[in-house]
Amino acid sequence: MLDSYLPILTLIIIALGFSVAVIVLSRLVGENKPSAVKLAPYECGMPPVGSAHEQFSIKFYIIAMLFIVFDIEVVFMYPWAVMFKRLGLFGFMEMGVFILILLVGYAYVWKKGALEWE
Amino acid sequence: MSALLFYILGFIMLAATLLCITRRNPVHAVIYLVASFFALAIMFYLLGAPLVAAFEVIVYAGAIMVLFLFIIMMLGLAPQETPEGPGWKRWGPLVLLSSSLMICTLMLIFQDPAASKEIGAFYLAPQAVGEALFGRYALAVEVISFQLLFATIGAYMLGKPLSKGDQ
Repeated sequence: MLDSYLPILTLIIIALGFSVAVIVLSRLVGENKPSAVKLAPYECGMPPVGSAHEQFSIKFYIIAMLFIVFDIEVVFMYPWAVMFKRLGLFGFMEMGVFILILLVGYAYVWKKGALEWE
Repeated sequence: MSALLFYILGFIMLAATLLCITRRNPVHAVIYLVASFFALAIMFYLLGAPLVAAFEVIVYAGAIMVLFLFIIMMLGLAPQETPEGPGWKRWGPLVLLSSSLMICTLMLIFQDPAASKEIGAFYLAPQAVGEALFGRYALAVEVISFQLLFATIGAYMLGKPLSKGDQ
């Protein structure tokens, strides 16, 4: 069992070693002359437009909240999935009802246009 | 071994939570809370509940923290002024905490499988959770489904654009 993890451990050590070595080497060898332009946040190569700390639209909140609801729905699917065969038809029907009830909410918000980004 | 990990994780959790409640920048506070949740997840695993550990990461560190971040951004709570230059003072503690978390996780992965059986007084397999949830507590699961339905509609109602009658 331990042997199967060895390649992953090797990869982690190489990745860590390489990134640390590059940072330390550039610190030791390279020159450090910070200026206002160099310290500016990178924004796709363009000069930054305004501050990143702006008020965001409530539309993001609705999408995030709906994501959480369906995330929690999926949480109930994991214990169901590992016992799928043992639970049989009863478990299948139960999960069907569970999803059907949530589907009503999904259809409602879809119909109301909460998922539209206009 | 597992007792040592427990104390290390406990220390990480306390330190991360303490740093979380003392940060002036709410976004930094959320990041420290995520570190605390990860430590809690590994602790659940140590206690013999791997499913709860996975849900701690999926639901709390993943979904709930995203919501926290969105609320902070929506209310515009983040400070406007940005401190000059990169500094160890700002992200040093987080790097220290999360790298010790990673070492703990690696220690758990690479430890002898024979020793890991002795972890915790009991072991709650995901199968047992599934059997209980969809057997004895079948009705409760359906009730939770209704609660999630209310949450969906409630979230929409809170965030919907004002109609003409409301203004």
